[in-house]
Amino acid sequence: MRDTLTSLRYRYWPDHLLGEILSKRWTETAIPVILLLIVGLALSRSIDNFLSPASLADTARQAGEIGFIALGLALVVIVGGIDLSVGSIFALTDFCALYLLDVLGWPVPAVVAATLLCGALLGAVNGILIGYLRLRAFITTLITLIIYRSAYDLLIQRYSNAIASAFPDIPSWDFIGGGSIFGIPTVALVYIVIAIFGHIFMTRLRPGWHITAIGGSRRSAYNSGIPVRRTIALCYVASGVLTSIGALFFASRLGTVGGDIGVGLEVIVLTATVLGGITLGGGKGSVAKSAVGVLIVLLITNGLTTMNARGGVNRMALAGILLVAAMVDIRWQKNRTRIISKVYVAPTYHALPPPPPTEIGQGGPFEQNDKLRNVESIGLGRIEAPEDVILDRHDNLYAGSRHGDIMRFLAPDYQKMEVFAHIGGQPLGMAFDREDNLYVCIGGMGLYRIKPDGTVEKATDETNRSMRSVNDDSRLRLADDLDITDDGLIFFSEATVRYEMDEWPIDGLEARGNGRIICYDTKTGVTRTELRGLKFPNGICVASDGQSILFAETFGCSIKRYYFAGPKKGKVEVVMDNLPGYPDNINLASDGNYWLALVGMRSPSLDLAWKMPGFRRRMGKRVPVDEWLFPNINTGCVVKFNEQGKIVESFWDLRGENHPMITSMREHRGYLYLGGILNNRIGRYKLDNSDPNFVQYDKRWGKQS
Amino acid sequence: MIAAVREFANRFLGRGDATITVPSFDGALKPNQKLEAAETLLICEAPEDLATDGRNLFIAAGQRLMSLNDGTASEVRSFERPISALCALPGGGLAVALGGREVRLYANPSAEQPNATFADSAFNAVNALTLAGDNTLIATDGSATCGVDDWARDLMELNRSGRVFRLDPASKTVTPLAQGLGHAFGACAHGNGVLVSESWRHRLVLVAPGTSARTVLAHLPVYPSRLSKASSGGYWLTAFTARTQLIEFVLREPAYRRRMMAEIDPAYWVAPRLRSGFSFKEPMQGAHIKTMGVIKPWAPPRSYGLVIRLDADGQPLYSLHSRVDGANHGIVAAIEMGGDLVLIAKGPGRVLRLPLSGLAEEFRS
Repeated sequence: MRDTLTSLRYRYWPDHLLGEILSKRWTETAIPVILLLIVGLALSRSIDNFLSPASLADTARQAGEIGFIALGLALVVIVGGIDLSVGSIFALTDFCALYLLDVLGWPVPAVVAATLLCGALLGAVNGILIGYLRLRAFITTLITLIIYRSAYDLLIQRYSNAIASAFPDIPSWDFIGGGSIFGIPTVALVYIVIAIFGHIFMTRLRPGWHITAIGGSRRSAYNSGIPVRRTIALCYVASGVLTSIGALFFASRLGTVGGDIGVGLEVIVLTATVLGGITLGGGKGSVAKSAVGVLIVLLITNGLTTMNARGGVNRMALAGILLVAAMVDIRWQKNRTRIISKVYVAPTYHALPPPPPTEIGQGGPFEQNDKLRNVESIGLGRIEAPEDVILDRHDNLYAGSRHGDIMRFLAPDYQKMEVFAHIGGQPLGMAFDREDNLYVCIGGMGLYRIKPDGTVEKATDETNRSMRSVNDDSRLRLADDLDITDDGLIFFSEATVRYEMDEWPIDGLEARGNGRIICYDTKTGVTRTELRGLKFPNGICVASDGQSILFAETFGCSIKRYYFAGPKKGKVEVVMDNLPGYPDNINLASDGNYWLALVGMRSPSLDLAWKMPGFRRRMGKRVPVDEWLFPNINTGCVVKFNEQGKIVESFWDLRGENHPMITSMREHRGYLYLGGILNNRIGRYKLDNSDPNFVQYDKRWGKQS
Repeated sequence: MIAAVREFANRFLGRGDATITVPSFDGALKPNQKLEAAETLLICEAPEDLATDGRNLFIAAGQRLMSLNDGTASEVRSFERPISALCALPGGGLAVALGGREVRLYANPSAEQPNATFADSAFNAVNALTLAGDNTLIATDGSATCGVDDWARDLMELNRSGRVFRLDPASKTVTPLAQGLGHAFGACAHGNGVLVSESWRHRLVLVAPGTSARTVLAHLPVYPSRLSKASSGGYWLTAFTARTQLIEFVLREPAYRRRMMAEIDPAYWVAPRLRSGFSFKEPMQGAHIKTMGVIKPWAPPRSYGLVIRLDADGQPLYSLHSRVDGANHGIVAAIEMGGDLVLIAKGPGRVLRLPLSGLAEEFRS
């Protein structure tokens, strides 16, 4: 009953998606967007006409103005600084525009150019002090905040009456502040244009990358040859210019130079920046985050104003939000990778019935024996990690090594060892095609082809991306074993799409169907995923009908048959399940049966743990990997089975001293050759009653001269 | 209320009592392979305890009492139940505990009838006997519910029912000295009190009449067992098995432990053992994987061999080990005889001898 509930809970609740979603980069933008939607929804419910066109247009006008300032601040924060003087620059440039227009009567284009220049100069003061003279950004901009504000106060004392008494009637000037195109305010349109440019600038252009690099690590950026000082200085100049654009629109809209213009603006903009998810430490941020932050802040302040909250309350709310956002930002940046690594591993329910007996005296097909005790060793201490072994038609022996090589032992005595090909990744399953090309699955790299002369070519390293997967699963992570059909289709298994090869124990901890079987067509070069959701699929062998493959599910402890052609096309049948061990490679035997390597044996403690996902999840978090409960892969055996799912014979090495681990085996001319991924040798065992002339691919495709 | 909340938070976050850290073998406990070099005197089915009168070595092996003299073993006598503890008495006498429930005192090892028999109803798992200063006998009882050989269940049930008794041969009375111990296993007189191994709390406590138990040596990376006096002052402390983080973790997982005890053969539990590596059904941990044909000695020990030499204050001086890749695991008894240390490695069923000359100097240098 409890097991049933657990199994239902883990079957229908996708635990693994949380970690996959969190490890996506877009989650950091998604969280502010969700916040924006919540705020927008809440306000539109509580305030009438909140979403009316007039209200939206008004919001858009304000958003545009503040948005420019926020863009500038975002730039400065990303480069690793801060600009507190934006409010004062805003006030000064607002004054500059109105003074030039109302008092001096300059034409509008000249006013615009001069205001932008004024903003650039005011920003350049910050830029030179911080960029070139290496002053602290916080203190410097705090000082310029005071100086600019004092200058503004002095100026308006003298000129505010002159500005207030002038009523210029210039259509182009009014259009800047109040005009709209297709109902969209001009300020919003200009903002959109600049934001799109800003996005391209930050993500696609060299200076944008330089800015992010400096924010990420100033020293590394300097060592990489980036002009750090100039870039920082220019960021403050850009901040000044963007602020002055905001001020221009503001000046045109309201035309006043009141004493409180721009006061507290830096807090609003800073809140928007942090709330959008731009890290105060620098190096991270985007235009989209800045825009979302501005919208959230504006909605909240406007909402509070509409609800007749007093100014103090308004500011208090903003400061509170800033504090919370900064706190969340710091904690998240610090713990992000830890949180992801903790939630990424998501064990699931995996129940197996009690295994068939293996003990001596208990009978049954898996009864242990000592047949493999006298296995000879080939290349003892010279080869490391031969996962699979294969022999060519000239009796030479090939095996992979963990150094990324395919080693060749020369017939007839297999004493001479040479590097046949260097690939660079761990070679796993191997198979020959009709032209004697050797196809090899390489962990972490994909499917590779080695020509008889030793040239290495990539066959495939990607397949079609599945639509329902959050992780991009198009790249091959752990191609494992393969076989080639008579028509040149290569079926190969990928053990897991969630982990790398060295992380296979974590996949065992999860015990979810994370693996798949993929088909590569040697004629067309097309790669397609055939089966998904398999529990560590491993050995692959083409069945006798030529229309189906046998494959092993290591953690599923089963052998299945998949029909890729013929009347049963697309069907999967169980050949054997509830094996007492973990099946690995499958290969053809001379009598038409199949060899199967059991790489390890099941233990009751792990079988129980597989039924208790919560236990395994906590184990994964609290216990170091070296101490985890593992599938026991120290003892294994070789069995022979037929297509009806009957075990014909089993071969054991009781103490495992001669050949500790068996991941694969290959019959060749009366001998069985054994590979093991953690071994330093290849085993060779003389078979009784077997065809002394059997060569696997000669038998399948007829002997070639 | 606050304590309950804190405990829940600790369990959820793996902090406080929920941490599974195990001290490392460090300082005086730095690993070596000395026990692997020991000479095997005798191999028998189930050696349990040792005693010596100075000339003869007595070995409790299942139901049989063996004596070993000049390398030849002979059976002295046998009992109807397995011997669970052994202690030599002054004047050539011998005390034996049978099946953990009865203690008999004999005037000499082959005497027909016992001088005294203690069969207190409180006895359940008497696993060690030792002489106190005043000619009384001290017995440790591991558990009130689990038998002598069922200690793994006692650990997995988190029992804290170990007791220490004083047996007075003169008045034939049994006095409890301490109770509520996490598996009392082994004792040795120390001043007017008794040093007692408290296995499940990984420590050595001093039990003295009239006072509460005082911790002498704590935070051991192993489960301590029987103690004996060293000739040059101090003690030999055996440790029958070692702690691992996985077992500490399982001890904090009630649901898994309950199902494991109900559904799995005890031989394959995730629990410490006296020997390991004999079946693929035993739990295997990550570091146990044989790589290039080698098992790493630093892998987490399912079974381990360790004797610690303590000084007169109960602080460790040096230690003798048999690591994960070794065989002499499950050291349950060690006594000094002549210039040698004689040990029982219960895992492989061996009685071992290790010459002591030069050993202390070697560790001091």
